Amino acid sequence: MKGAIRCVGVRKVFRWRGPRRRHETLKGALFHRRLLERSSRFEEFVALDGIDLEVAPGDAVAVIGPNGSGKSTLLKLASGILRPTSGTVAVDGRVTALIELGAGFHPEITGRENVVINGMLLGLSRREVERRMAEIVAFADLGPFIDQPVKTYSSGMYVRLGFAVAVSVEPDILLIDEVLAVGDEAFTRRGLDRLARMRRRGVTMVLVSHDLDLVSRFADRAVYLRAGRVVADGAPDGVIARYRSDVAGGEAAVQAALPPVRVIEEGRRWGNGDVEILSVTVSSGGVEQRLIPSGAPCAVHIRYRVHRPVEDFVFGVAWQRPDGTAVGGHNTSLDGMRPVQLAADGEVRCRYDALALAPGDYQLDAAVHRTDGLAYDYWCDAARVRVTSAVEWPGVWAPRHRWEGDGPLWE
Amino acid sequence: MRALGLLWRHRALVAVLVRRELTARYRASLLGFFWSLLNPLLLLAVYAVVFTSIFQPRFPGGEPYPLFLFAGLLPWLFLSGTALDASVTMVDNGPLLAKVMCPPEIFPAVTVASHLIHLLLALPVLLLALAWSAAAGWHPFPWTVVLIPAALVPWLLVTAGVASAVSALSVHYRDLRDLLGHLLNLLFFASPIIYSLDGLEVPPALRRALVLNPLAPLVVVFRDVAFAGRAGSPADWAIALAVGLVVWSLGTWVFSRYRDTLVESV
Repeated sequence: MKGAIRCVGVRKVFRWRGPRRRHETLKGALFHRRLLERSSRFEEFVALDGIDLEVAPGDAVAVIGPNGSGKSTLLKLASGILRPTSGTVAVDGRVTALIELGAGFHPEITGRENVVINGMLLGLSRREVERRMAEIVAFADLGPFIDQPVKTYSSGMYVRLGFAVAVSVEPDILLIDEVLAVGDEAFTRRGLDRLARMRRRGVTMVLVSHDLDLVSRFADRAVYLRAGRVVADGAPDGVIARYRSDVAGGEAAVQAALPPVRVIEEGRRWGNGDVEILSVTVSSGGVEQRLIPSGAPCAVHIRYRVHRPVEDFVFGVAWQRPDGTAVGGHNTSLDGMRPVQLAADGEVRCRYDALALAPGDYQLDAAVHRTDGLAYDYWCDAARVRVTSAVEWPGVWAPRHRWEGDGPLWE
Repeated sequence: MRALGLLWRHRALVAVLVRRELTARYRASLLGFFWSLLNPLLLLAVYAVVFTSIFQPRFPGGEPYPLFLFAGLLPWLFLSGTALDASVTMVDNGPLLAKVMCPPEIFPAVTVASHLIHLLLALPVLLLALAWSAAAGWHPFPWTVVLIPAALVPWLLVTAGVASAVSALSVHYRDLRDLLGHLLNLLFFASPIIYSLDGLEVPPALRRALVLNPLAPLVVVFRDVAFAGRAGSPADWAIALAVGLVVWSLGTWVFSRYRDTLVESV
């Protein structure tokens, strides 16, 4: 199907001969490369280590992770710029990589001429580029500069033109590497708007970004890479929380020699265990329930045990559909509750006067973490409930409501 | 062969990149594209002055010497210029290779094509000079010039092979770029460009070595048709063509060996 990406067991190893990579010499190749020693003389860096990833057509997937975790390498493999050392990358459809905008613009020739060349490099025919020229020029918004040599451009103009060409290609798959971070606010907004429109048309998108807010707004799935492996893959908010926790944990570990974040259950539960969540239940009418009538009052109970008293703590709950769609979430910090001390075991309840959810299945994530995100215990899919109702509602929101009207007559 | 297919599929892109190369080179110069005609003309003028009033080298069949030299030099400048440019083309186009998906074969091909265009633009200068020289009665007009396109085929093959190998190797071995200039210099003097093997007075051992220089038949064949007015011996043509094919195959083989690691090393 057009727009699908499929990585199976992808491994990418970069190798270079010795530390003097830039100053590779003929002498070295001629005299020092005895055949038997050859493999041991290479220094290796494993950028990606056994990645299995499937992206369905029309998906918007964000890849997050620390620097050097293999995000950009993954993108370059998907675009065909690099080849995997082992494993396969299968991509279906026209791919455009927004990796470095305006890469390959020649400084001496005009913006217009560069558009033709860049467009053709991206796989358009000359005629196709010329047909889209007006649109590209309009989007780049360079005014008279479009007919000036590119060397006279500001970096913002450069990026605008690069972006305009790249998106004009009408790809089936768009790979975006942190490109919206450059450029001014207006451009970022217009760029995002353009990307959103392409998404609605069903263009598959893979986005690498450190802007986690952008990721949670834009993507419907996130993949968290660390040291070339997939650590977490799923709904963006959970994956982002996991990443934030790791980042905070890593810093804390450096600062206080704390044990690093411990993974309790791969992909679903993690934390350092200072506070442990014992159970997460939902009650209605004072009794634990699996079935909650839509609109009924209910509460989420988080029972916890304190292994090490802490003064910085946030309890949180997030609701999701089984397909990973975020429904809502709240935590004590967002609700303005300042932590003082958490020393004894106990229970925290989040009460809803009326559960305004449409009928269907829901999953609950529950967490207790530090204000900076370091997880004591972050538990995805800690509880499940089914919301029931006499009538089927579409969507997820079922607020209490009524209809009024002066004209029509109803029985 | 795969490379040729690839280039054919991307011929429009190659054409656009060649145009970019040529227009970018002459942008902001007053005479613009005219320079590719003016360059060989000025070169010929300098040789004419130097070799008629300062040195007067004499070789059998080497009169007038500036023309003799010019006819030998044109294809050589095509080869050496391409080789030198090929050694930087991958690095120069590194951003394209690393950020946009495009077949690396394109870049040596663009280098060869743009130098070929310069060569073709220099040919009218040669023809004019030949006609002038014939009109002045110094040298009969060599009607074999119609064979120049055929004599360029082995040159094109050698140049394409060298460009492929050099472009790929110079990414992995950066010192090739410095070495290349000296290698070309050596090859230049080892080839019968400024002299002809016929009238050369050197020790027999050296002479044998010079005859074995694989580039020699190419120079001889080209100068035969472009200057001397001879169609050249079939043996010379056959050797020249064979050299061309061998160098081309070797060059593309080297390129294919390094092709997949280019992006990582560039």
